[in-house]
Formats: sequence, structure tokens, C-alpha cells
Amino acid sequence: MTSNKTSALKYAESILCELVIKKEWQISKARQELKKIALSQGYNSTSIVELVTSMSELAYNLFFHTNNGGEIKISVIKCDNGTGIKLACNDSGPGIISIEDALQDGYSTNGGLGGGLPGIKRLMDEFTIASNQHGTSITCLKWLI
Amino acid sequence: MTIIPILYLKSTLIASIQTELTDEEVLLFQSNLLKKNHKLNTKGVIIDVSTLDVIDSYMAKVLKDLTSMVKLQGSVFLLSGVKPAVSSTLVDMGMMLNNVETFLSLDQAFDYLSTKVQAKK
Ligand SMILES: Nc1ncnc2c1ncn2[C@@H]1O[C@H](COP(=O)(O)OP(=O)(O)OP(=O)(O)O)[C@@H](O)[C@H]1O
Ligand SMILES: [Mg+2]
Repeated sequence: MTSNKTSALKYAESILCELVIKKEWQISKARQELKKIALSQGYNSTSIVELVTSMSELAYNLFFHTNNGGEIKISVIKCDNGTGIKLACNDSGPGIISIEDALQDGYSTNGGLGGGLPGIKRLMDEFTIASNQHGTSITCLKWLI
Repeated sequence: MTIIPILYLKSTLIASIQTELTDEEVLLFQSNLLKKNHKLNTKGVIIDVSTLDVIDSYMAKVLKDLTSMVKLQGSVFLLSGVKPAVSSTLVDMGMMLNNVETFLSLDQAFDYLSTKVQAKK
């Protein structure tokens, strides 16, 4: 999935931005960077709000639910399906106890509204999540329409 | 640190949240607003978000909490100016803000307060 070139199918992924999220101010910077990229790729205003909201949810989760924050990579994908923006979010713990629970609306371990992860899943076109006690990895993608 | 001005006009408190807020800024804003509302015993509080591009679950929780707090103080809480793209995203997020009374514009919210809501005392 992350290989940069495949000979059979046309697929190119370029990482445009690697964001470290540890402090709260870095969340707003992450949103601004993503907005710039989405605008330059020609996303419409609704898609941009959806992308930026998803970024915000990922980044807040790093800020609230991890020990040392994490990293979010923004990349642009060009392939036969068209253009997409991918967000790849990684951290090194403590992990999500039950992914199934975490994807339910209203489930939160710290008194949030619990709409973050299920929200991202609905706002983005593709969504994958993996987690164990060593960390969590979430990848999501939105196609340009 | 951003300090959000809170204006008092005809028995109403009005504030405009124009950018996203940090945890610290939210707490300060909440406590300033509640203190002011307690002192002035207003009819209502209007928060305008017409310049806000993104309302994520964090901001949604802030607005929900503020609604409950202001209601407990006996005032009406109104939200105005939610942008179209923001409102559709909020619904997708499952954040209907059901308990929050909303208006298209600050003007309409203010009109509603002055005509429909009785002054206390
Ligand atoms: N990166 C992460 N590492 C560890 N746990 C996480 C991570 N992201 C989410 N979680 C867990 O999954 C739960 C659900 O996350 P979600 O974003 O949906 O809700 P929330 O963050 O609790 O509240 P909200 O996002 O509505 O403010 C969290 O309460 C937390 O327990
Ligand atoms: Mg969250």
C-alpha cells in the first residue's frame, strides 16, 4: 500500500508534510498545512472541512490519548483512480484497548463526545486502523471529486 | 493567548469565536463568560461562529458544555452562523448539537432574544 511505484498500475505517492503532534499548538498548524495542500490540489470547500476535521480528530487523539504524542504524514496520491489525500497517523502507545468499542459513536475513555474515530470513518473514503500496546496506526484517505 | 471579548448589549452577552481555541483558552473563556453572566443576569448568551472553518468534536464539546452551564444559570444559549460545510460535517460526525439552539446569523439570534424571550427580574 505504501510502495511508491508499481509497474503494472500507475500509482505515485508523495509525502508532502510530516507533522509531529506533541503540543497543542501543533494541532492548529497541522490543520493549516492540510488546508493549504487540499486547496492546491483543487478540493472543494466541503471536502476541505471534512479533511481538516479528520486531521483535527487524529491530532487531538494524539494529544489526549498518547504518552508522547505522535506523527501525522500528509501525502498526495496520484493513480488510475484519480487524486487522493492520505493522512497516516502513528504513535507509540499506549494503544487502544478495544478498537471495536473505540469506533462506536459516543465511546470515550476521557469524557469526550466520543465522535472522533467514527466521525473520521464517515468523513473519509478509506479508513484503516491497527493498534496494540506498543502503539496505534491510523490511515485514512479522501479522493478528489 | 487569545482572549475573546464578551460584549454586553440589551441584556444579552455576545461573543464571537473566530479561531480554534486551546484547552487553556477555552477554560478562561468559559469562566469569564459564566462570571459575567452571573453578574449581569442576562436574558441570553449568543456565540457567533460565522468565521469558524472547522468545528471538530473538541469544539463541539465546548459548545455543548457551555449550553448546559448557561442554561443552569437561567439564561438562554444561542449559537449563530454555523457555515454550511461545517454543519454537514458536524452531522457526519454524529454531533447534531441537539440541545443547542442555532440561528443562521447573529442578527436573527439577537432578534429572537429581544422579541421571544421575556426579560427576567
Ligand atoms: N492514538 C490513540 N492512542 C490510544 N487510544 C486512542 C487513540 N485514539 C483514540 N483512542 C481511544 O479511542 C477512544 C475513542 O476515540 P474518539 O476520538 O472516537 O473519542 P474521544 O477522543 O474520546 O472523544 P472526542 O474525539 O469526541 O473528543 C478514546 O477515548 C481513546 O480511549
Ligand atoms: Mg478523539
